[in-house]
This record gives sequence, C-alpha cells and structure tokens, in this order.
Amino acid sequence: MVLKFYGHPFSTCSLRVATILKEYNVPFELIVVDVSKGAHKAPDYLKIQPFGQVPYIDDDGFILYESRAIGRYIAAKHRASGPALLPDVNTETQKYAKFEQAASVEAWNFDFYASKAAAELIFKPMRGLTPDEARAKELLESLENNLDVYDKILASQKYVAGDDITLADLFHISYGNLLHSAKHINLEDTKRPNVARWWKDITSRPSWQAVKGGVSSSA
Amino acid sequence: MVLKLHGFFFSTCTLRVATVLKEYNVPFEFVAVKLEEHGHKAPEYMQIQPFGQVPYIDDDGFVLYESRAICRYIAAKYRSNLAGPTLLPDVSTEVEKYARFEQAASVEAWNFDFYASTAAAELVYNPGYHGIPTNEVQAKKLIDSLNKTLDVYDQILAKQKYVAGDDITLVDLFHITYGNFLHTKGFINLEDEKRPNVRRWWRDITSRPSWQAVKDGLSPSS
Repeated sequence: MVLKFYGHPFSTCSLRVATILKEYNVPFELIVVDVSKGAHKAPDYLKIQPFGQVPYIDDDGFILYESRAIGRYIAAKHRASGPALLPDVNTETQKYAKFEQAASVEAWNFDFYASKAAAELIFKPMRGLTPDEARAKELLESLENNLDVYDKILASQKYVAGDDITLADLFHISYGNLLHSAKHINLEDTKRPNVARWWKDITSRPSWQAVKGGVSSSA
Repeated sequence: MVLKLHGFFFSTCTLRVATVLKEYNVPFEFVAVKLEEHGHKAPEYMQIQPFGQVPYIDDDGFVLYESRAICRYIAAKYRSNLAGPTLLPDVSTEVEKYARFEQAASVEAWNFDFYASTAAAELVYNPGYHGIPTNEVQAKKLIDSLNKTLDVYDQILAKQKYVAGDDITLVDLFHITYGNFLHTKGFINLEDEKRPNVRRWWRDITSRPSWQAVKDGLSPSS
C-alpha cells in the first residue's frame, strides 16, 4: 500500500519529510491536515498524534511522527534505493556519531533559534498577532552567531557531518529557506563563503526543488 | 587510553553523558572545565568545541560533542558491555523499533527539553549566573507547556512501559537531568499522582544505579 503522508503542503516539517521521500523516490499520497481549521487538534487526530502536531506517516500500517524520525526511518528502510544519507551505526560507528552530532547541532544551535524566530516574524503576523521584535532580534543574533561557527566548520569539510552529505544537511533546509526568503537571515552572505557554498549545494538538489513550492502527492 | 569526558561537574548535559557511561560500565576520566572562569569559551576549548558548549568526549583521539550524540555513540560502540537488551535499537535488524526510538528522542527534544531547558535558564541560570531577572510571564508559559507535554506522556505511558515502547532506551535516560533539575527545585512535579504513569516511569528510570551514581555531580576520577 502506498505510504500515506498526513501533513500540510507548506508546513516546514512536512517539507522536511517530503524532501527525504523525494531523495529515495518513495511514492506517497499526501492527505492534507488543515491546520488553519485546527484539524490537528481534533480528537480523531490526537488518537494518532497525541501532541497534536503535523506531520505523521502511515507506512502500510506503521505509524510514525516527528519529521526527523521519519527522515531517519525512510533513509534506513530505503537504503538500497537511494543515497547514503544515514551512516551505518554498526559498520561506520564514528561516521554515524558525527552524523548524530551534526543532527543535534541542527536541532539545538540552528532550529532552536530559527523556528522561534519564524514563529515571531512569520507565523504570528499570519495569525494577526504582533511580533515581539526585541525577542526576534535576540533569536536572530544567536542564529547569526551560530552560522559564523558553521562557516568555520564548513571551511574544513564539505557538509555538516563531514565530507559526505547526510540527512543532517537536509534537515536545515525548510526553516533555513523560510527565514532566508523572507530576508530575515542571509544564507548566501559573502561574509560566510562556506555557508553560502553549502547552502547553494543542498538547496539545488532535485529533492528540494521538487517540493519547495509545496508538497503534493506523488505515486 | 581511557575515555575523557570534558564538562562541568554538575551540568545537565555532562551528567546525561555520565549516566550512559555508567550504564555501559565504560571507565572514564572526568576533566573539569571551569565554568566560573568561562573555560568553555576559552580559545583552546573552542578549537575543539566551536560552539563553546559542554560536554565533549575524547575517546582515544576520537572527539565528539552534543550529549545525545555521545550517548548514541557509547551505546553503539559498547553494545556488548550490556548484559540486558540494548538501549539503542539496531536500525539494520529492527527498523521499526529504531524509528520509534528516534520518534521518542525527537519528542524528548522538542516537546520536553525545549521547554525544560529554557525554563531552567529563565528560572535559575539567568538570575543565578547572568544577573538577569526571571521573566515570570515567559517562565509560566514554559512550565505550562511542559506540563501539557507531561499530560500527553501520561496517556502514552498508560499503554507502554517506557517512552519508546516496552523496553527502556537511551531516550528515557535523556529526560533525567533536566527533569530532575526542575523537579527537585519544585518547578514541576514528576511524581504528581494526577499523572500516575509518568510517576511510575520517573521513579523507575531515576532509581537506576547509573543515575544514582552521578546525580550529585562528578569528580575528576575514573
């Protein structure tokens, strides 16, 4: 049975999962969860995703939520038919460890600030609320400081976990793109040439190009 | 060469790693980074950990930072040290169990620690270490969100013994340090009888010898 993807065409976390599904050419049916109408908080939805968040997948009866967990699952399950985006924990333990290090950095040093800044500057206005400009400024400053560190790291390696691309690179794209296209940060800033090189590389991948305008079913 | 754990003797993230090192009986040497001297921001330190954060390990020349990455590495490398079941499901032989582990790990990060660590900063670190008064409105929002998460945990833990399923995993242990920090200071109650499943789970994971061995802090020794 084709994989069912319960998400939203423009949600950052849905885009994150869709990118990885495209990397492995996994056919999927998108079932739109209308978050604007609170569909993700409906009792039937909460029975499956008890935190009331999107997305989740139903892979022939196997239910999974949390976009980065879904990404790892897809990369593991479809290993034979796509790029090696998830190092093998048993045969390349140190490479796996560096991947998990990079994934943790993406969560705590990038997305921690990027998602909160996006909530202030992009999502609040969409809901008719006033952004807390001072807080947003603090968040963006922290993000910028960390991008300066990224530039140092990417001076001596091609991607965030080493010289091979991994899921950790792809995890950055959806929130990075959201803030970059709204000009709250500049990921192509020439003052950070390594970040610029890396950003252009990962966002030029066909997987992201296929979904960046919105997710739709592919089967 | 014995594994070196560089961190603060009492830091939540350092203790998270120490707990897992104890679970796997991995001998280690604790190298204290001097918080009061901002040792983690010193140039020599930042050559190794460029974000200026603790902890990191040096495993016979292999350097790794980010506590949850270190824990996964320990569990993978020292898998055979455990008499009992692994704390890190094997992706190649049990992919669905591995996926549920990573789902629980992501929940721990985004629905638990996201609020717990920020609340700890707001309520304790800001006033205590940085001279910044607590923003009470913000702190209340964070604690409320954390309590909402714990209400959901109670539903999940009604049907399974641990956060990733019926076997304990690293993810249960990931919760202990920040959970304990806020619980012992009275900001949340992980033994609240209104959440009996959370209480059962909390008592179970915190009674493990690994946590008991490190909960009062580390000293420079193996």
